[in-house]
Amino acid sequence: MFLTFLGVLCGQNVFVALVAQERVATRIVSLVPALTEMLFVVGAGSQVVGVSSYDDFPPEVQSRPRVGALLDPDVERILSLKPDLVLAYGSQTDLVGQFARAGIRVYSYRHGGVGNGVGNVLQTIRELGALSGRKAEGDRVTAQLQARLDAVRARVRGRPRPRTMLVLGRDAMALRGIYASAGVGFLHELLDVAGAEDVFADVKRESIQPSNETMIVRAPQVIIELHAGDEPARDVLQKERAVWSLLSSVPAVRNGRVHLLYGGYLMSPGPRLASAAETLARVLHPDAFAEGDVKIRP
Amino acid sequence: MALSAAGMLRAEAVSFGYAGERTAFSLADVSIEITPGSLTGLLGPNGCGKTTLLKLLCGVLRPHGGVVTLDGRPLSSFTRRELARHIAVVPQETHPAFDYSVMEMVLMGRHPHLGAFQLEGPPDFAIARETLIVTGTAHLADRNYMTLSGGEKQRVIIASALAQATELLLLDEPTASLDLGYQLEVASLLGRLSRERQVTMVLATHDLNLAASLCDRLLLLRGGRVLAQGPTSDVLTGAMVRQLYDVDADVQFHPRAGHLTVIPVSRTR
Amino acid sequence: MKAWTLRREPFPGPPKPANDASAVPAEAPSIRTRLAVTIAVYGALAVATCVLAPLVGSTQISLARVFDRSTPFADNVDAQIFFVARMPRVLSGAVVGATLASAGVVMQALLRNPLATPFTLGVSAGAALGAILVITFSTAVSLGALSPVPLASLGGALLASAIVYGLATRPGRTMSTMVLLLAGVTLNSFFSALILFVQYMADFTQTYRTVRWLMGDLDVGSFGPIVASLPLVLVAFAMFAVLPRSLNLLSVGTDAASTRGVDVGRTQRLAFLSSSLATSAAVSLAGPIGFVGIVVPHLVRLMVGVDHRIVLPASALFGAAFLVGCDLVARTVLAPVEVPVGVVTAMLGGPFFLWLLVRRS
Repeated sequence: MFLTFLGVLCGQNVFVALVAQERVATRIVSLVPALTEMLFVVGAGSQVVGVSSYDDFPPEVQSRPRVGALLDPDVERILSLKPDLVLAYGSQTDLVGQFARAGIRVYSYRHGGVGNGVGNVLQTIRELGALSGRKAEGDRVTAQLQARLDAVRARVRGRPRPRTMLVLGRDAMALRGIYASAGVGFLHELLDVAGAEDVFADVKRESIQPSNETMIVRAPQVIIELHAGDEPARDVLQKERAVWSLLSSVPAVRNGRVHLLYGGYLMSPGPRLASAAETLARVLHPDAFAEGDVKIRP
Repeated sequence: MALSAAGMLRAEAVSFGYAGERTAFSLADVSIEITPGSLTGLLGPNGCGKTTLLKLLCGVLRPHGGVVTLDGRPLSSFTRRELARHIAVVPQETHPAFDYSVMEMVLMGRHPHLGAFQLEGPPDFAIARETLIVTGTAHLADRNYMTLSGGEKQRVIIASALAQATELLLLDEPTASLDLGYQLEVASLLGRLSRERQVTMVLATHDLNLAASLCDRLLLLRGGRVLAQGPTSDVLTGAMVRQLYDVDADVQFHPRAGHLTVIPVSRTR
Repeated sequence: MKAWTLRREPFPGPPKPANDASAVPAEAPSIRTRLAVTIAVYGALAVATCVLAPLVGSTQISLARVFDRSTPFADNVDAQIFFVARMPRVLSGAVVGATLASAGVVMQALLRNPLATPFTLGVSAGAALGAILVITFSTAVSLGALSPVPLASLGGALLASAIVYGLATRPGRTMSTMVLLLAGVTLNSFFSALILFVQYMADFTQTYRTVRWLMGDLDVGSFGPIVASLPLVLVAFAMFAVLPRSLNLLSVGTDAASTRGVDVGRTQRLAFLSSSLATSAAVSLAGPIGFVGIVVPHLVRLMVGVDHRIVLPASALFGAAFLVGCDLVARTVLAPVEVPVGVVTAMLGGPFFLWLLVRRS
């Protein structure tokens, strides 16, 4: 499974065969949903001619042809779209080689999933802005996002930072198959921005699969579950929350600070990460946000 | 539960065909009567149906036509347990999947006499020891069965069959793949069992001389059909051997051996 | 020497001991004694492991604090760790270990092959398919408060068993071992192909969770799932109880067993069904934990011989202790990171088998 190794890779994004090029890319195919988002946010949406099977944001991507994804890129389809730039995963080395031979530029995204840091995300937006001829927009967007993150940080400064377990996945209706943020990656950094301590920060990995015992011992004060899908029906939501009552000694459970958050923006290493940070901050420090602000239901 | 004094095993016009060979029967219209105390030989070339007939006689296979009866009852009316108390079988080869000891192998013969959760008791061990002594394998009792020689293995399996304490013993090629010395040993053992213990035996073999030395009755099979049946001296003739094996053979009474012998001379075809 | 006939007459009693040179060596301990001793020893091992394991772990706990009634349960971290985190885990380890080890013994006898495992005939592939279908498409499935993955894996396991059973059974006749094996191997391949296909369509998260499930996980957290699996497990063990002597005979050959009075068809069906039920329950509870079903029977046979009447109960008890021990290693060796228990059993099982192979040759 290449995907399982994606999160383990670390390093910088690589410009492949782009150093000498100055040409603006006008027909871009993107295999990475987060990168597609970035293109749209810098105003280069019209230059996107093909997207991956998993793209779902912004809504405009629905009208673009689908060309597969990490495991199953449809090379013929991509070629038929006559791109001058393809955004691919760094691990898709065969693909990169193929396009190089076809004389098509490839932006090799060496960082997928959780392991990507916030700084890395912002850097990527700038690079894509430059590649698509939207350098000014790219810089502006990046600066804006940074400002928003800084604003969140300022908002929660000085408040006590609760030890928080950020749950990235769990088996339905059971406390099994849990994996949580463990000190590395953009989600961990967003948590930090939002004013909380990652309860597994010392482990220094992209994720950890804590056993019941580990969770009891670490005793997080807040538990936040992130789900990329839509929020389920109310009764299902109640039942999913109730699953945590098994760990009755954990402070988060005893004090009712278990939050289940739903939304694609929460786990996307792209331009929406500032919104994710804001949501996390609201959940962690509701008193820091005025009444007039839009409430996110925990 | 005991068989009547007559205790006959009888096959009446049985026929059998293996799956996929419905048109060509392995055995067709074979009838045989095994009388108590007799030592009957089933003779014939490979593939003539000896083993099939043996399997039909012990109930492992069901005939497609005809019926096999024991003491007048069809075999199908017996449970396997019941049947195992009257008929024991020594197969041509035994390959246990695990390293059973000789004693364990012999004790397996006690199964039809034990209740569902009953463990072997002193009487069972006594019988097992007795059969080991009779077959001359007592000194091997604790050995791993798979480490024995061919002859020793065969004798252990015979001991196991004897431990079943049955009236009938069916043997499939008991001396095939044995060295000459072991062949004689097993043959003499079988002869003794027949004479001293009145065990009724049916022997499937392609060894004409073995059959001649041991059996008082013979059934000759060719192509799944009975070629001839009757007392050995009547049936085992040069003409029969020629019909059975397409071999010209010299069938003579050998004074030293004390029985008929068959010396193959040449092929007729 | 008193000659006695082998006709069906009442036994005259045991004969006088033979005096000839081929005297049988002194009688080994009777089966009854061996069985009693084995169950006592292995039972003690299993019980000791299950009692001590919850006391050991990556965090120190004190038994005194665990049972200290003055602190409310919800506040008593030691008690929480003991009763919520470790006890269910140890118990499920014992149940799954005993079940898989016994199923392995029965499978090896049924297939007359010491290399058979509880997963040889496709049960775990069926379970895996059920689990991965639910993990990948679970948004479409809602079963109220029931966790879908264990249910789906149970369903998949039972379906696979039913298919193999249907293919291999001929009413009133014996099962062909060849057909059983072929059906099982084919089903394994087919289901594995389906699993790969579904994984191909899954996204990163779902694939990761599937891979995780395949590694096995005993951390059930509550006694509910264990209790839920008990009916199947108990039925399977009830069926195991009547099999051992027949398995001895069956492992020598189907015809050989038949002529010694075993109802071969019935024994085979019972062996297959009991082993499938047991394996289905175990896999739905904790995922497909490999090597327990093959390492434990072999180890036990090295220690107690090959008589199934002793091997089967000994394997069940040793299997329980073995898996609880492996899980102990899994949750302590790299704490706080947990090694999946299936990885630990594989790392113990692989070298063990190499050693066995080398020893045999």
